[in-house]
Amino acid sequence: MAEETATTLRDGTLAPAGQALPHGSFTKRPVGVILLCLVLSAAAIAATVSNLAVQLPSALWLQSLVAPDIEDMRQVLVHYAFLPRLAVSLLCGAALGLAGTVLQQVLRNPLASPETVGVSAGAYLALALATLLAPSLLAFGREWAALAGAFIAIAGVFVLSWHRGLSPLSVVLAGLVVSLYAGAIGAALVVLRHEWLASLFIWGAGSLGQQGWTTTLWLLPRIGAAALAIGLMVRPLTLLGLDDEGARSLGVPLGVYRFAGLGAAVALTAFVVAAVGVVGFVGLAAASLARIGGARRLSQRLVMAPLIGAALLWAADQAVQMATGPQGDLLPTGAITALLGAPLLLWLLPRLALGLEIPALTTERLPRTGRPGLVLAALGLSLLLLLGLALLCGPGPHGWTVAVGDQLQPLLSWRWPRVSAAFAAGAMLALAGLMMQRLTGNPMASPEVLGISAGAALGMMVALFSLSDAGRPVQTAAATVGAFAALLVSLAIGRRAAYAPERLLLAGVALTALFDALILVLTATGDPRAMLLLNWLTGSTYGVDANAALLTGAIAIVLLILAPLFMRWLDVLPLGPSAVQALGMDVAKTRLLVLLMVAALTAASTLIVGPLTFIGLMAPHLARRLGLARAWPQAAGAVLAGALIMVAADWIGRTAIFPRQIPAGLVATLIGGPVLMWLLRRR
Amino acid sequence: MPDSQTQTAFRTRSRMTRRAAFGLFILPFAGTSLVEAKPLRIVSLDDGLTETLLMLGVRPVAIADREVWEKWVVEPPLPAEVADVGTLLEPNLEFLQQLRPDIILAIPYLDGIKPLLERVAPVTTIGIYTEEGQPLRRATEATRQVARLVGKEAEGEALIAATEASFQGIRQELAPLAARPIYVVHFMDPRNVRVYGRKSLFQEVFDRIGLRNAWTGETNYWGFSTVGIDGLATASDARLAYLEPLPEGAGGTLTESPVWNAMPFVRNRSIMRLPAVLMFGALPSASRFARVLAKAMTAEAARG
Repeated sequence: MAEETATTLRDGTLAPAGQALPHGSFTKRPVGVILLCLVLSAAAIAATVSNLAVQLPSALWLQSLVAPDIEDMRQVLVHYAFLPRLAVSLLCGAALGLAGTVLQQVLRNPLASPETVGVSAGAYLALALATLLAPSLLAFGREWAALAGAFIAIAGVFVLSWHRGLSPLSVVLAGLVVSLYAGAIGAALVVLRHEWLASLFIWGAGSLGQQGWTTTLWLLPRIGAAALAIGLMVRPLTLLGLDDEGARSLGVPLGVYRFAGLGAAVALTAFVVAAVGVVGFVGLAAASLARIGGARRLSQRLVMAPLIGAALLWAADQAVQMATGPQGDLLPTGAITALLGAPLLLWLLPRLALGLEIPALTTERLPRTGRPGLVLAALGLSLLLLLGLALLCGPGPHGWTVAVGDQLQPLLSWRWPRVSAAFAAGAMLALAGLMMQRLTGNPMASPEVLGISAGAALGMMVALFSLSDAGRPVQTAAATVGAFAALLVSLAIGRRAAYAPERLLLAGVALTALFDALILVLTATGDPRAMLLLNWLTGSTYGVDANAALLTGAIAIVLLILAPLFMRWLDVLPLGPSAVQALGMDVAKTRLLVLLMVAALTAASTLIVGPLTFIGLMAPHLARRLGLARAWPQAAGAVLAGALIMVAADWIGRTAIFPRQIPAGLVATLIGGPVLMWLLRRR
Repeated sequence: MPDSQTQTAFRTRSRMTRRAAFGLFILPFAGTSLVEAKPLRIVSLDDGLTETLLMLGVRPVAIADREVWEKWVVEPPLPAEVADVGTLLEPNLEFLQQLRPDIILAIPYLDGIKPLLERVAPVTTIGIYTEEGQPLRRATEATRQVARLVGKEAEGEALIAATEASFQGIRQELAPLAARPIYVVHFMDPRNVRVYGRKSLFQEVFDRIGLRNAWTGETNYWGFSTVGIDGLATASDARLAYLEPLPEGAGGTLTESPVWNAMPFVRNRSIMRLPAVLMFGALPSASRFARVLAKAMTAEAARG
């Protein structure tokens, strides 16, 4: 690495290129990273040799590498399956490490990576959509679909986090929201199309299996070109790490290079996704390990991160092959790395300087209404109208009917539990979202990103796969236990930081990622029980009977009655911890109580509509847009709006493609994505 | 030959009512077609149970997901009058109720929604695929159970006997070709397959018609395992039978990879493409599988 190219700002002055910096820490070689890289490579080599020895006697290794005997299946497999898989793991690992480093530099965000900013998920969804709906489009090349999806995803992340100045936390939260959104649409495709449509999952989960050198040769020039482009931009990219003022004063066209760097990183990710699917967390791990391991300068990180990424994926992939054996059941490497990546993210959190997040809710300059009562009354009236529609109108075997007379009783007996459950769940999620947003001062906070929903889903998953015939009561109990277990984990992580909001949110992100990875592994094996889980994940009110509806309704009423106790805190919390203390309140205790309330609200509603709704995120913003600014009116407005959206979603889901049904949670998500973009648009 | 019966059924359909044609197809072994004055209104939520019903000469009023039937079961053809109540996991309850069924047939997989279904009509749960395996034996029991339910015990026994007889016939027919083991797979994508082994319906059919399954590895309790194509290289003299439907986009790319081209069954040209057979089916699927496999194997043998 050429030291002379170093261009670093210290004490407000720029050291011109060509002058070595005298300060020791800047010139030291990143010993830690190099060591780490060597250790990983050694482990990977050992695993590779052991895996190869299982397949082929060592005397034939050289022959199978250079000129395999086509008659000998073992040699064919080594030459056309084992070796290209190894090459692909190295290439993809390096590409993701490079992409992660560039993203971190361009976004000035130590948590950025292809996985955390939603790029991988976007590319994957675009490819899945193209495969299912317009396979002919893929004839032009898979990379174009993947690229389009990746760019749409990152554009979405920008829209969602722009007004927070693309702060690290808000970018990662927006990335999670975009990933969840893409995941919800993916799940919907599978649920609505076919029972046995498993191929999407195998590939989506990052199976590195190869059957020839085609993928390697496809990846090589593309990754090479992107890497070359990044190599040519090292100096401008270094300047992007400075604050805007400093860089602009040097006459660097910031926007151009920021876009070019971003484009190269997104392209790298899209190529990897198009070739092998989503490989979770390698980008984040490689870029962060390079930074923590002592590679301070960008030029160092740009070399070390790809090396670490390659070594990481190589080692992980060989370990997976070792665990499953050459003919074992399919275990997608990409999902396994995601499983390992989530704990890594948790470990990283205290070690990263994220900068201070200034609560921004109070600084929003949105119009306030002088007459909140009128707005609330209008919301309430629309809700009543919608309730009538949802209960009485719907298609039957002979077309649309309004239920009257004899028909009314039997139809209502099906409809009221679903409508009331949707109502209660929407109301509770909206309140939970409002509390989270006011607690954290972050407009992207919601119950979904707290990890509680993921915990509930995990509990459900354990019940489905460990008990042979888990009925609905067992599933419900398991989901509740899971929700509270996830909350305990989050709280344990947050306790040391007095339940600091950023920590909690990021812990939630890690838990959610962990859960996503588990789902991918399960669905990739094609187990029919995974379908049950997917079905619930999409948020259907189908299984709600009178008892469940009454129970949910009762919980909702109790919690909504408790809500006024929190309103004063919710007015104060967005002002920051010092304001809370000045008013004589105990910050940690207040936060803990609010969190417990959020957990109860989320667990109760997740059981009904699944973990993937965006009501909690959307409803508070909707209320705010309507001019409801103070905690009390905003809470009432959010609760009404949440119930309204959820009841509407359930009704649309039941009627749109009768007799088939679209899960209410999914309809809410599909409506919610664009609405959220609109609500949070740049202003 | 069962296939000539099928063809007869198709040919006569234009001249006769659908039901009469159906009777001709189903009941060469059961004598006359008995249409009861007031047949049970049955909703069948499992395709294996539905095909059993149809073979007994009973038409359900509704099933879940006609589209799946048309793609994965194919035969016997589903009468147009059979309504579609939506997806398997979420059959439309309002719709179901308005159909006023007398009984709903379900499988343990649907236990989660059983309480809801019971509000519409009594639910009979019949499990063919369980942890214990042996789906063919269970399918035989299920046939008796269904037959008792619809009062067609004689037809049920006839179906069981006919299935057994067709296995015996095919066993003799295939005896000269039975030396080499066979992989039975569904393609998931060009790289991965679902291969059927222990606890699968296909395995038990293999045992009855005297064939050897080339896949002896692990399977889950539905009787399959998902592996990369290179996982099928262990048996050097194996044949490959792959079932339709193929996943979108897989067909054209199958022959491109070097590993595929080096596979023993590709180099020996012992690959058979079979029409769709429901892998989670009952007796009709079992005998259909035996039939289509025998046809493919004899065709291959005739080619040389």
